[in-house]
Amino acid sequence: MPPQSEHEKEVAELIIECLNLEDLSAADIDPEEPLFGDGLGLDSIDALELALAVTQKYSVQLRADDANVEEIFGSLRNLSAYIAENSP
Amino acid sequence: MQILQTPHPITTRRLSEIIAHGPSGEIRVEQFLACAVALSRQLPDRRYVINLATDRYTFLLGFCAAIIAGQCTLMPPNRQRQTLLALADEYAACYTFGEEGLSNVEHFDGTIDMPTSDAADLTIPEIAADHLCAIVFTSGSTGAPTPNRKYWETLRVGTQSNIDLLMQNIVGRLNLLATVPPQHMWGLETSILLPLFFDVAVSHHTPFFPADIADTLESLPEPRALVSSPVHLNAFLSADVDQLKIDRIYSATAPMSVELAQELERRFDAQVIEVFGCSESGIIARRSTTSEVPWQLSKIFRVDVSDDRVLIRAPHLSENVILHDLIELIGDGRFRWLGRHQDMVNIAGKRGSLIDLNHRLNTIPGVIDGVIFMPDENSKRLAALVVAPALEPSDILEKLRPGIEPVFLPRPVYMVPMLPRQETGKLARKIVLELFAKTQRSRTLENGDPADNSS
Repeated sequence: MPPQSEHEKEVAELIIECLNLEDLSAADIDPEEPLFGDGLGLDSIDALELALAVTQKYSVQLRADDANVEEIFGSLRNLSAYIAENSP
Repeated sequence: MQILQTPHPITTRRLSEIIAHGPSGEIRVEQFLACAVALSRQLPDRRYVINLATDRYTFLLGFCAAIIAGQCTLMPPNRQRQTLLALADEYAACYTFGEEGLSNVEHFDGTIDMPTSDAADLTIPEIAADHLCAIVFTSGSTGAPTPNRKYWETLRVGTQSNIDLLMQNIVGRLNLLATVPPQHMWGLETSILLPLFFDVAVSHHTPFFPADIADTLESLPEPRALVSSPVHLNAFLSADVDQLKIDRIYSATAPMSVELAQELERRFDAQVIEVFGCSESGIIARRSTTSEVPWQLSKIFRVDVSDDRVLIRAPHLSENVILHDLIELIGDGRFRWLGRHQDMVNIAGKRGSLIDLNHRLNTIPGVIDGVIFMPDENSKRLAALVVAPALEPSDILEKLRPGIEPVFLPRPVYMVPMLPRQETGKLARKIVLELFAKTQRSRTLENGDPADNSS
């Protein structure tokens, strides 16, 4: 598994905490694996909860063209990069 | 169903009116019709189509073109590849329509050569009442998807009923945005069928994030309507928006709290209308969440309650519908909702059977005993307690995942030494909840008390 950056580790912790993924620890999340579907198995309810948590913690409002929601959540790396790029 | 043989036009809108807000601006009914008719002549010559379009206007075009061409749209219960392939396998005479298809299934992306004909040549297609327009599949965790047939008469009369129920006191064209997909019955009835019969212009977008919903609504002229669900609407409140006027907010798929409805009405100067129905019957009732407790039934439905069974009848339905809810009729076509059938759970607009889920859990090799349950009314997720000495929670989830909707996967899954069954084998809910709370407490202690992190 590729190593997580500090920022990715922080976002991974937010995911675990916000979604009650009690059986996982932040270090278990492969930064390049999909978060949804076959990867961590998250779904659209999780996506909304995660979007809220990201907005609260990083003051970043997530935005996506209709079909690109999955891209932001494509992996821990994508999500972390999106947050870093859009942080105020 | 009483099938009347008289055909009816595919739309009763005036040709010069606006039916949609598309990628390049407003789309008039005549432009839409010309496109739909041209498209209907170029569709693959197959009986069934799975319309996967994510752009709502593309879906509308594909849906209507298929009806005009005498085809039937299959509406799968979800977009999972496995579900779609199984459906394509069962209905071998089908193709997919939309931006992207499936490998090994014939696909049509909807791009066509538009004829340069005059709008004056346009004849509005007439559709036979008994034309099978769509088959809606409901699944959840109730096993194989169950088909429900929607004839043109079913869709047309159902939409008239929805107009009576939902479009009262709207002046001028209503500009509508839906966050729910057109492939779900709630999205189909509102964002696809209403614009064919009422002065509604639908946005081609399906925004997901709160900020995108706000931006798209702002880009629409007033009066505006938002069609959504409590989960989306709750998240939407977090959007950083001021002074956005939304005239109507329609919510379905799950009960809405009065607090959420009040907050939405205050923030957006809106009227919140909650809608009651299911994929089999379509919308049957409405209420204003902030001012009414009982639901008002549409006049065309007859409801019979005997014991625990609620039967819905209407002339336009292909069959009678049994509701998975408990209701009390109180006269004047009104009813109170008492709750869901004990076995049924509803998560993210998907209906599932606890009996079925528990059967799946208990047939996993290595599982000695186990129970899946909803911890409390406000939970968004199911939980599981499992006795399986050789397995980990991740093994359980891996075995459950292929057969059920992801929203029904229990979270958390706790491994326990045994379940406190009574001598009869019965497992009382109260006891399950106690064991769940106890397991949760002991895990919290093991992992350090998260309450300490609150500072």
